Amino acid sequence: MKIGAFEELVLLAVGALTDNAYGVSIKELLREKTGKNPSIGALHSALYRLEEKGCLISSEGGATAERGGRRKKYYTLTTRGRNVLIETSKLRLEFSKNIQGLNLRWDGS
Amino acid sequence: MDRKPNFRPPGLADRFLTWFCDERVLETLQGDLHELYGQRRNKSGKLIADFNFLLDVIDVCRPFALKRKSRSIYLNNNIMLKNYVKIAWRNLKSQPFFTLLNTAGLAIGMTGGLLIAMFIYDELSFDKMFADSNRIYRVNIDMRTGGETNYYASVSGPLAATIKQDCPHVEMVTRFRTMRSALLRKSENDENVKETHVAAVDSTFFDMFGLELLAGDTRTALKAPNTLILTKTAAEKHFDLSDALGQRLLLNNTETYKVTGVIDDFPKNSFLRDHHVFVSLESFDDAYSKAWNNFRFPTFVKLNPLANIDDFQDFLNTVKESYVIPWAMTFVPGLTLERSRSDDEKTGNFMKFGHIALQDIHLHSGDRQGEFSPNGDVKNIYILALIGCFLILLACVNFMNLSTAYALRRAREVGIRKTLGANKYGLIRQFLTESGLISVVSLAMAILMAYSVMPFFNELSGKAMVIPLSDPAFWLVIVAATVLLSLFSGSYPAFFMSKFMPVKVLKGSQSSAGGANIRSVLVVFQFVVSVFLMVGTLVIFQQLRYIQTKDLGFQKDQVLVVDDVSAAGNQMASFKQQVLQLGGVERASLSSYLPTPSTRSGITYFVQGSFDAANAAIFGHWKIDHDYLSTLDLEIVAGRDFDERIYTDSSGLILNESAVNMLGLQPEAAIGLKLTSDFHRQDKENMKFMTVIGVVKNFHFESLRNNIGTLSLALGSGANRMIVKLNPGDFSNVIRQIEKKWKAVAPHQPFNYYFMDASFNSTYEAEQKLGRIFVIFTILSLFIACLGLFGLTAFNAGKRIKEIGIRKVMGATAGQITVRLSIEFLKLVGIAVFISLPLGWYVMNKWLEDFSYRIEISWWVLASAAVLAIVISIITVSYQSIKAAMTSPVKSLRSE
Repeated sequence: MKIGAFEELVLLAVGALTDNAYGVSIKELLREKTGKNPSIGALHSALYRLEEKGCLISSEGGATAERGGRRKKYYTLTTRGRNVLIETSKLRLEFSKNIQGLNLRWDGS
Repeated sequence: MDRKPNFRPPGLADRFLTWFCDERVLETLQGDLHELYGQRRNKSGKLIADFNFLLDVIDVCRPFALKRKSRSIYLNNNIMLKNYVKIAWRNLKSQPFFTLLNTAGLAIGMTGGLLIAMFIYDELSFDKMFADSNRIYRVNIDMRTGGETNYYASVSGPLAATIKQDCPHVEMVTRFRTMRSALLRKSENDENVKETHVAAVDSTFFDMFGLELLAGDTRTALKAPNTLILTKTAAEKHFDLSDALGQRLLLNNTETYKVTGVIDDFPKNSFLRDHHVFVSLESFDDAYSKAWNNFRFPTFVKLNPLANIDDFQDFLNTVKESYVIPWAMTFVPGLTLERSRSDDEKTGNFMKFGHIALQDIHLHSGDRQGEFSPNGDVKNIYILALIGCFLILLACVNFMNLSTAYALRRAREVGIRKTLGANKYGLIRQFLTESGLISVVSLAMAILMAYSVMPFFNELSGKAMVIPLSDPAFWLVIVAATVLLSLFSGSYPAFFMSKFMPVKVLKGSQSSAGGANIRSVLVVFQFVVSVFLMVGTLVIFQQLRYIQTKDLGFQKDQVLVVDDVSAAGNQMASFKQQVLQLGGVERASLSSYLPTPSTRSGITYFVQGSFDAANAAIFGHWKIDHDYLSTLDLEIVAGRDFDERIYTDSSGLILNESAVNMLGLQPEAAIGLKLTSDFHRQDKENMKFMTVIGVVKNFHFESLRNNIGTLSLALGSGANRMIVKLNPGDFSNVIRQIEKKWKAVAPHQPFNYYFMDASFNSTYEAEQKLGRIFVIFTILSLFIACLGLFGLTAFNAGKRIKEIGIRKVMGATAGQITVRLSIEFLKLVGIAVFISLPLGWYVMNKWLEDFSYRIEISWWVLASAAVLAIVISIITVSYQSIKAAMTSPVKSLRSE
């Protein structure tokens, strides 16, 4: 399973937001963490792809007045999504070990 | 749930998003965007928020968000098709009245449309059957002399040879020579047969028009003098088809011709349709005459495949100065090119050679002198096409009106379908299926009806059309028409009904079917068209009546014309005397010229002493005898009639008022004037002059479309007709006696006779045909409009049945209720009348401008059309209104 760097970030954000991961909140978190402001189009596009790949599942709910009464789409990590995240993190760790001065630690496994 | 956000993002961008975005993505995406917009608006103000929203919307145009076809829904609808047809069928069956009105309206409209389309198709198909017909052109001459312009379809004899020799763009030239009718018989027979349309033609005839001989050889036929070819029909009149070739026929009792070929009859839609005998051009003395002033030879050219018609026209433009003037210089002393040019400039005279494509002759040539057959008029095609479109439109409008009116009954069905998951498009498909079903049925009925009225319509229009049931192209058009018709008439009701809101219709709050305004407009439209057609019909018939009863300045009733009296040879005068002695005969005259419109030539005169080209006067020239004026009751306004006792009258001349006017004289002053047409001769001192002895009051010898032309009458022989004025009484007995006398003086010669008024009326056949066609389609359109009105009233009365019941209970009379129900529709008819009367008045005045002698459209024509329309619509509306008003309130109110 291959995912792109941006998709990885989105996946991480969804995981971090646990049960409040929808379009606007994910965007907010990403901006907060990375300092970059992803466009809503790019974000939705990524979410859509991730859902197709089976890394995310969505459920609808939580319409509010500021949304014009439109429902939110909440995203949750699937086991598959979780595994993908673990795999990519492992890969990064593997690489960083061999680089002098980099001392990343990860105690997930 | 409240769908209004606190802040509204820019509407256009939002709508754009809704438009391109897939339904399944739209909800969350739009929600997110709106939420973001709200945040930004709070933080940075409207401008920045708006701008960012716009950017985001554009940014969202990504593949995942775009609309896509969903295969599952598509499949589902195809499965539904069978269901649509079934439901449509049930629906139509459950409302037989509505279905009947709709189908009948459409079927009648389509029948009319089909007949008109076939008529137009036939008119447009003229002369296309000849091989290379798109390369064949006829040469025309427009000529103006002495203040009068004449249009000729036949041209000078030498032109053909000139073109062949000097014009490189032309592959082939064929020359005809106009002839009148001829009497034909086998030399061993005694009985003559009259052929009304005989033409002479040269031997390139077959190559030019791609004709095949049924018998004979195209390489030799018509080559020699005194040969002729016959059509199959003509050949069968005289011989067995198999042995016609080589037989001999006597033409006009004098000359023997050999049959050198038999061709098939010409189709009804060709310019030669009436011609059955073609004589070789070589038989005529003037076939190789060098005279350019004799316009007797209709000339056709076939261009080279690569040549351009403009090049040919360029050549024609040079003909006058390169050939005609040099010829004239040989006998007109002092004539030069320069003088001819300056004369033309001074007098406005001209002689123009022009061309017309073979295929255009029927509709665009008009009424030139020397046409082979009467032509059609492209204007009538336009009028008919318009009427045809109107008819179909009226029928479609009916369908729309009735369908939307009756939609209320279907509202619940639509509501339930929608709640069960039908989407808008599915419903549209369903309603279109219904209109399609009705279209198919009504088109089938239309074909059936058109098929059965075709003989009648053919008689009316003078055609021989058959519905091409075996032609695939016809069916293709019919299928296309069905689809178009059902789409056109069904689309408005379908979109209208599919928009019903399930919540509203199921609650019953959508109590009126809506669309009432559009229905009103459509009803007005229908009656505008119908009343307009009524005005048109009335005006056409009034004009025809005017023409037929107008005092023409001569006696046309009780006047019998006997044709071909020259067959009696030197017995002619004695025949006239014998006829005069019969009890029922008042007067008789021998002359070829009838005061009914026909092709004839003019003659150029100069007044003694002024031979300048500018003073030339062209008068019609008729040869008559001493009894002509008295037989036709022509009135002398100055001078006197020809007198048998005054022998100098043989060089006397009687002019009509128009001719005297053209000379710039009063009738009295013209008496004694000396004119000559003999100015060509070299020895001027022997020039023959004619003396004007009388002036005759103008009489209408041309069609009333034109002004009265100039005319000169002189004594002359060579008459071929006898004009007999009968006393009132038993005409058939007198005619029998005249025939007996004829058989005595000219045994075996046919006795052809007719009454002059009949021949006169046939001049206006085109108008009469148009009038009759107008009547039929007016009735049809009115009928369709009334069908629609009838259906609407019925629907309206049905809808208001409870209201009527309550009104009755409260004491309203049946009369009041009838008025109340009717007035609503009568108002619409009233509006229509007000729109269409000025329209009809304007258009028909334009039509009347074609006639020099015409009626004024009087107010009562307009009034009677209006009254007729209103009366008919009152009858239509009141039947249903009265029926509703008479219903007992007990019946209508008991269910609640």
